[in-house]
Amino acid sequence: MIPRRLQYVVLVLVVAIFAMGGYLVHLKRKAEMVSLPLATRLSAPVSGPAEMLLLYVADDQSGTLRQETISQALPSDPGERGRTALHALIARCQQKDSPHPLPAGADVHEVFMMGPSSAVINLNAAFADGHRSGIGPEQLSLFSLVMTLRAQFPQLTRVRFLVEGKSRETLAGHVDLSSWYDTAAVAESAASLK
Amino acid sequence: MPMKPAILQRLLVMLLLMCVCGHAAEPHHIAIYAPGITYQVDIVVREGAEYVGLTDLLEPLGRLESRADGKKIKLSFNGLDAEFQDGKRQFKLRGEKQDLSANFAVIDGRGYIPVAALAHLLPRIAELPADFHVAAHRLFLGGAQVRYACELLHAPSRLVLTFTAPVNPLIRVEKGRVRFAFRREAVVGGSPASVPYGDELIQSTAWQESADGFELDVNVQKPVTVIAGGGGRSFTIQAAVAAAPPAMAPRVNAPVAAPNGQSAASSGVVQRPVRTLPFVFLDAAHGGGDAGEMLGASVPEKNVTLALARRLQKELESRGVAVVMSRTSDAQLSNDQRAVAANTSHAVLYVSLHASSSGNGLRIYTAMVPSLPAGQGRQSFLPWDAAQAPSLPDSRIAAAALDAQATSAGFHAQTSSVPLRPLNSVTIAAVAVELAPPPGGSANDLGSAEYQARAAAALADAIAGLRGRLQEAP
Repeated sequence: MIPRRLQYVVLVLVVAIFAMGGYLVHLKRKAEMVSLPLATRLSAPVSGPAEMLLLYVADDQSGTLRQETISQALPSDPGERGRTALHALIARCQQKDSPHPLPAGADVHEVFMMGPSSAVINLNAAFADGHRSGIGPEQLSLFSLVMTLRAQFPQLTRVRFLVEGKSRETLAGHVDLSSWYDTAAVAESAASLK
Repeated sequence: MPMKPAILQRLLVMLLLMCVCGHAAEPHHIAIYAPGITYQVDIVVREGAEYVGLTDLLEPLGRLESRADGKKIKLSFNGLDAEFQDGKRQFKLRGEKQDLSANFAVIDGRGYIPVAALAHLLPRIAELPADFHVAAHRLFLGGAQVRYACELLHAPSRLVLTFTAPVNPLIRVEKGRVRFAFRREAVVGGSPASVPYGDELIQSTAWQESADGFELDVNVQKPVTVIAGGGGRSFTIQAAVAAAPPAMAPRVNAPVAAPNGQSAASSGVVQRPVRTLPFVFLDAAHGGGDAGEMLGASVPEKNVTLALARRLQKELESRGVAVVMSRTSDAQLSNDQRAVAANTSHAVLYVSLHASSSGNGLRIYTAMVPSLPAGQGRQSFLPWDAAQAPSLPDSRIAAAALDAQATSAGFHAQTSSVPLRPLNSVTIAAVAVELAPPPGGSANDLGSAEYQARAAAALADAIAGLRGRLQEAP
């Protein structure tokens, strides 16, 4: 026979477990609600003087990067300017006639300019998780991002990629994402693509 | 009464040793020797029985197309159709039922046949006579066995080993023994395994075999020299003319060429291995849990890279190029493991093989690593991620040769550099090759035996042409 006191203790513990579980779910939902405005806060600027923006658009069939110019309002803040340029590039790749399709929802969270020569591109999870696997497609995606950013900041010498703020081994199983990219080496390699 | 810590410690050590010994005693693979090719397939244990992958087994032997259909595996091997079913002893060959002698298994969409059924199944499917050395886990197909004869001659005493085909053993001369180790050759021993001679120089010979190869020990009474001759078909063990100076430290030397095409293998107690170092390290990318890209509906990249690596190995060996493979089965290796294996293989060129459904033709990549500061070379201490830097010029030579050969073979070829592991940690000339579908083709073409064979032939021609053009590994 289990003593009544012990029964009460077990009952209280079970109630406490359920209460803590419920509170945990509540906290998770609250955190998700908080993070939503953060993502939307970084939307592209809608005002400002229109400028010619040079995009390096990847072409899977020929395995090359081709230059396209669009007219786009670009903010003066370097980080925002870089992010806007890359956002435009990704949007181009998400169009129906894209020669290098990128996954739906792929985007750049932020571009951190660390002085004139270094930049960190923070990709979102959809970009990396939904990216096609293969050296060719991964190389073209990363090179097009680096080259487009370099076109905006000619003094840029190195670029690093993060995914959701974290370092990652590869983009989609092949091309290294954990080291700095030398922009001159990328430009040289991109030029050799024929 | 509580157990004393010392006793407990001893028990634990014994238990650990038993586990290690038991594990080491188990063979993990089967060595398969067929005319023109030697390869290994990994053993999978299921419900106490040993199995090997059907694709791993047949792919190196001919044109294989297989597909999983639920619990069934349907395959076409050199135009011969067969069908297997999970858990069934019987299989269909050209529509006729045949007995497998044990149950077939399908694991994760891959077909596995019991090891016990190998000697029974292969002659029917591959149409080659099979001789399976069950205990040693060595399988000989199509009369690939290499036999030898030992002849003891006198005045002076010497033992002449004559092989039925050229061989290239690793020879170790130790005090009282000469050991011939055959890792790739299909050497088999006669009966009995141990033969006493009772000679003043040659005491006895004894052989043993395992899935790792064949070893022949010649027990000697005095320091000896081994002379290779007959184009690799004969080896003479005779008394050393002059013993090595006692003060000299044992060292490993390259084979020394002797007059009339013979090579002196060793002398005294100094170890001097005689072997041909591999020229190329072939690395089939992905494997195991890392499937790579899904090419088409059901073909993972790891299968295409392995099939391509095997074809390339065959093409290279037919051109006299010695090859070492990173994997010969569905094994998972980390990038660091691949780099370490390549760096210690003594090969001159590292080739990583990939496949992609994107684009078309053959893409060749070299590593994107920072250029080396002036004054630094191969002997300098470098970060692991930049170990490729000193070999980049050689890597570019190799990439250019592959590009040119692929173009002349009708492929759309493209060469560029990319940050790619393990390429940047490989210390020898290193390239990655990615096979994409032909123009107007689809991902399904990547699994086509004909397309792979075309690519393998072009790559093999280029690699064979690189001999003598690349710097040897330090």
